Amino acid sequence: MRVRLLSYLFKQALSNILSNRVVHAIGLGTMVVSLLILGTFLLLFVNLNAWVQGWGHSMSMSVYLNDDVSVAQRSEITSFIGNLAEAEIKRFISKDAALRDLRSVLGSQAGVLEGLSDNPLPASFEVAFTDMDGRGTDLKGIKQALQDMDGVEEVQYSEEWLHRFEGLMNIIKLVGFVIGGLLCLGILFIVTNTIKLTIYSRREEIEILKLVGATDWFVKTPYLFEGMIQGILSGVFALVILYLGYFLISTKKMYFLGLAGLDFVFIPYQYTLLIILISVSLGLLGCFIAVGRFFDI
Amino acid sequence: MIQLFHLFKNFGPSIALSDLNLRIHEGEFVFVTGPSGAGKTTLLRLIFGGEIPTSGHILINGVNLSRISRLKLDLLRRKIGFVFQDFKLLSKKTVFENVALALEVTGEHPSFIRKRTHRTLKLVGLAEKEKAYPLQLSGGEQQRVAIARAIVKDPLILLADEPTGNLDSDLTKDIMILFRSIHLKGTTVVIATHSRELLEDTAQRTVFLHNGKIVGKK
Repeated sequence: MRVRLLSYLFKQALSNILSNRVVHAIGLGTMVVSLLILGTFLLLFVNLNAWVQGWGHSMSMSVYLNDDVSVAQRSEITSFIGNLAEAEIKRFISKDAALRDLRSVLGSQAGVLEGLSDNPLPASFEVAFTDMDGRGTDLKGIKQALQDMDGVEEVQYSEEWLHRFEGLMNIIKLVGFVIGGLLCLGILFIVTNTIKLTIYSRREEIEILKLVGATDWFVKTPYLFEGMIQGILSGVFALVILYLGYFLISTKKMYFLGLAGLDFVFIPYQYTLLIILISVSLGLLGCFIAVGRFFDI
Repeated sequence: MIQLFHLFKNFGPSIALSDLNLRIHEGEFVFVTGPSGAGKTTLLRLIFGGEIPTSGHILINGVNLSRISRLKLDLLRRKIGFVFQDFKLLSKKTVFENVALALEVTGEHPSFIRKRTHRTLKLVGLAEKEKAYPLQLSGGEQQRVAIARAIVKDPLILLADEPTGNLDSDLTKDIMILFRSIHLKGTTVVIATHSRELLEDTAQRTVFLHNGKIVGKK
């Protein structure tokens, strides 16, 4: 009987949506736009994060050695780097190789190096970081440890840039939370008012239902279904539009902001589920607020 | 069946009912009469649980309305049929849907609802107008739809507020015949009316109200 009653109430909800389709369409449209803004923000965040991580992956550290570095010191440095889980030695650049590299970079200007009596360039290790997710790798600590080792002259990496990006990502995260929170409040407000309007338009029917012995839940449940349906539909529509937008940008990305060289991925499925979950939860919560305030017959 | 003890009802400063004591037995047919503003509608609404008394107690089948939960009151209302003076029909629903509504809230099986609604509409003489909308019906027909909705669930008590207020004398007679046939099946019927015509030929108990007080009984 319960299933039959629920199915009856669900049909009631669908019929309510159809008979108040304009109000629902406006509410749905506004919810879709809000969720789309949220989704776009997530999409940008996910990709920016991936790009920063990718940049971290390709980052290398140069460990310059003293000219008088001993074989034992060198092997100690090698084994220190080898023991770092997230790092590997990409190559060893001897003093001669460094000079050769410099000559090739200078090209026709390489003549300026002819007057040198000694090779002033140090030998170095080029270390690549393979597991850089911006959190687990303590680049500062590694740099310090290497610099403290005998035989090491200097250690360089573009830490300033990395920190700037990490700072930027933190700001984006914060802005995302604030915008997301405001959008969720907006969605809640929209759902509450949409349901209030539909309740208002059916107040006569509700009064009669109560007078013939309908329980509060019998009257309220269709509205909760309405909120749930509105939540699911707005979440799905927002995701479809977001995907279409993503598809358009990813296929023609060379025309957008010079993104051709970067991978542009869609938000992971966990985030799509999150968007649906947010929209359904807000739909239901909005209904609870609306029906709670409205029913006193 | 219905017991009222020292019932008071105020709407702000105005007194609608004052120290009302009344007992209506199971299967009784009672008229409540009095001039406009005497408190007839308020009395029916109190019995129905549509209003809360300012003080005093209402017992329906031994259940004190002021001591039951909202849910129990909803369930109790399923045993009471109410015919409103203004019919309270839903204009966007058909005659059949309006009547079936009273059974749908109980979660009955659709085939039972269909069968019972057909039977009731036949009883009130509207079997041919099931698919019509209330606004396509005459006043008398709308009143019969309202009665059908009130009796479709076989209530223990039927309350009717000025059920013939908007009808001519022929239609009034038809409606009263309908109420009597419902009463004959064992339903307790309470009708509020100020129509002298309705009371002239009746042998039923009549309660006279004036300014919220019982001023006479017949």
